[in-house]
Amino acid sequence: MIMFILRRLISIAVTFIVVSIIIFMMMHAIPGGPFDGNDMPLSDAVRAKLMARLGLDQPLHVQYLNYMWGVLHFDFGVPYQSPGDTIIGLLSRAWVPSLVLGGAGVLIGAPLGVLLGMAAALNRNTWIDYLASTFATLGLTIPVFVISLMLILVFAVWLNWLPASGWGKPERWILPIIAYAAIPLATYARYTRSAMLDTLNRPFVTVLRAKGLSERRIIFQHVLRNSAIPLVTVFLPMFIGTATGSIFVEAMFRVPGLGAYFVSSIEKRDYPLEMALMLMITMMYCLAYLFSDIVYALLNPRIRAGGKP
Amino acid sequence: MNALLKIAGALALAVGLAVPALAQTTLVAPGQNTSGTYMDYMKTVYARATYAEVLQIPLTSFDKDFTLTALGAESWDQSEDGLTWTFHLRPGLVWSDGEKLTAEDYVFALQRAATTGYDFNWYWDFAGGIKNWKEVTEGKADVSTLGLKVVDDLTIEVTTGAPKPYLPSVVSLWYPVPKHQFDKYGDDWATNIDTVISSGPYLLDSWEKSNNSVVLVKNPTYTGPWQSEVDRIEIDPTLGAPEVGLPAFLAGDADYSFLNTGQVPVATQRYPDGIRKNAVFAVSYISFDLNSAPFNDVNVRKAFYYAVNRDELTSTVLKDIAIPAGSILAPGYPGYNAEIAAEAVFDPAKAKQFMADAGFPDGKGFPEIEIWYRDEGGYNGAIVPPMAQYLQSQFKDILGITMNIKVLPTKDWMDGLLNKKNNIFIAPYEYDYLDPSNFFGIFYNGGRHDHHVPAYDKLVAEADSNPVWEERLKLYAQAEQVLIDNASIVPLVHPITIAVLSDQLGGDASTPNKQGFTPLDRLAHYFFTHLTKK
Repeated sequence: MIMFILRRLISIAVTFIVVSIIIFMMMHAIPGGPFDGNDMPLSDAVRAKLMARLGLDQPLHVQYLNYMWGVLHFDFGVPYQSPGDTIIGLLSRAWVPSLVLGGAGVLIGAPLGVLLGMAAALNRNTWIDYLASTFATLGLTIPVFVISLMLILVFAVWLNWLPASGWGKPERWILPIIAYAAIPLATYARYTRSAMLDTLNRPFVTVLRAKGLSERRIIFQHVLRNSAIPLVTVFLPMFIGTATGSIFVEAMFRVPGLGAYFVSSIEKRDYPLEMALMLMITMMYCLAYLFSDIVYALLNPRIRAGGKP
Repeated sequence: MNALLKIAGALALAVGLAVPALAQTTLVAPGQNTSGTYMDYMKTVYARATYAEVLQIPLTSFDKDFTLTALGAESWDQSEDGLTWTFHLRPGLVWSDGEKLTAEDYVFALQRAATTGYDFNWYWDFAGGIKNWKEVTEGKADVSTLGLKVVDDLTIEVTTGAPKPYLPSVVSLWYPVPKHQFDKYGDDWATNIDTVISSGPYLLDSWEKSNNSVVLVKNPTYTGPWQSEVDRIEIDPTLGAPEVGLPAFLAGDADYSFLNTGQVPVATQRYPDGIRKNAVFAVSYISFDLNSAPFNDVNVRKAFYYAVNRDELTSTVLKDIAIPAGSILAPGYPGYNAEIAAEAVFDPAKAKQFMADAGFPDGKGFPEIEIWYRDEGGYNGAIVPPMAQYLQSQFKDILGITMNIKVLPTKDWMDGLLNKKNNIFIAPYEYDYLDPSNFFGIFYNGGRHDHHVPAYDKLVAEADSNPVWEERLKLYAQAEQVLIDNASIVPLVHPITIAVLSDQLGGDASTPNKQGFTPLDRLAHYFFTHLTKK
């Protein structure tokens, strides 16, 4: 296991470097720079002055090496769109609302999705199954900004129970959390239903029933545990995807989170921020998959990384 | 007796606490840009923080009828040769930290802009025409040679390279920078809420950088004209998108919201007294690369000019959000010439004839072209995409040509326009200051399109420096006629914005001007100081 983790850590480091080079090259390949795009163009002299101030007058490989040297020292630079700040400062501040709302969305949506999927699987081809499947399909197919708008119209405009949007007071968090929860709920409902149906049809379940185990024990102790692997596979990437903010949910509910920076850093050619966000996401996904692999092994002793079942 | 005294005391305390709480008025308003860098208009215009300009007092400004009003400057004089302007500052103005606001703060703002790479430099060169501005920005002359001089604490002298009769309008975008604060913190004075100070009617109370939302509160030290009429303003740029703004407005979370086309009928039905229209001083037009085929032929350009049915366009796909444009100037803008605008008629027969004259009868032999427009939000985002599709279909029907459409991010679009990476664009432009020279300048001596037509440049240069308003207008009209005769551009539409206001709002800024339009936050200084809330 230790060797497995070490091998994975080395491959993560290689992935990190390769991704950083690709991202760096791609973002500099896009036409225009941080000071283009105004209604009236800058004069060459002014542009040169501004580019020099940000070190953008240096050759690309020098810029890359300088940036990565900073990254090694946990210095991701200064965001062009928020001078006077550091990228770490900016991200740690903006991440709080995304983490709170998105994280709560997953933590609420995923267990509810598991329950919904279990209900569907245990009542296969009944109205409960059909209702749960319809609910899950709608959650996955209706765009999140439409769900957000519907929530605002129903709960804020028509019923006037909750504020429409904003950040700060906890009552303002409720609607965005529901919006964030829709996709985990729907995804988990579908995964759970299909994984449980697969497990329920296995011979060992018949054996357990023949042995006289209670249905509750079979479901919770054996079926659910054996169905957990796909759920574990999905959980961490979904958590990362949601807890790093959604530009749609954050825009609809006016949440000052991280989501908007993913777009604005590209749009504004904010190179240091763009790099930092991409590297952060890369690292999080790499670690999430490493962690998932470790959890697989703990859940199922037959799985040994690099070994044989 | 003792109990009575206690009750009376409690009542007095309750009233004392309740009165200021009741008197506190908070306006919740949409902003424009969801990211901003410096809370300093004189550091960056295009990447400034939300309403950075409202914190400072410009020398002049415009009211809702676009009448020039003295703010930081109390008065001004022009020398006999027309080259030197003397601005006399209003006495008694102070920064919010108690320091005196002086002429040095204004002059320093422009000196720094000229030497450190200000993204609005072009304005002070071509609109302001300040002596040696270009030389200083290019590093060819020392900042001391700029045509700016502090005469005394309350007097500024500005020298221009050529007479600029409209300079008092231009200085409506001249804001002071607190030099004493800059000396302590450098440019970072405008990035930190603890170091941002004001000379205008509002103070910065909070600034959420992740979405550029701000809370402004009344500045108790401000003694100039246009005092705030509300105590607190929460400005949130995420409310700027009508899709977010209107639901928030309906739920009572915002005091007004801009509307998109689909929202107009609903809002009009529900709030008939709250609807406000504004003719934005802006234009959308087709811009050509005049030097490359097929648009190097004036007949081709004229065919496009006559093939646009502006009335149908603005009464169908752009209903309620645009009006026809026959001129680069919008109706009501100084120098607007209705006769020139009337020349832009829809004449399919003429359009076909010009195509035939260019050697492309019924479009035969005409190359496939691609029109580029930029991806953006706001009113342009609502207008340009459907307009591009309308034009595509109309040019196919009338001219017999195939025009593809390409949407690009703003930076790529601008790169294409400046470096001639394509030969036809839909270009929008909104005014920066209230004088015809603003719009004529964007085609002058290259401008933003590399547009070089000597006859046009000569007329605009003469108009810009002519001190007699009527003569200037005649010269600008001649220049515009050159632009039209050369079919350098095809004016398409002027945008209209529509907003819905809460019935809680009042004050002069909430009612229409003489022309029936309500400029709202397009005139931010006026708007945020002439709005009341119940």
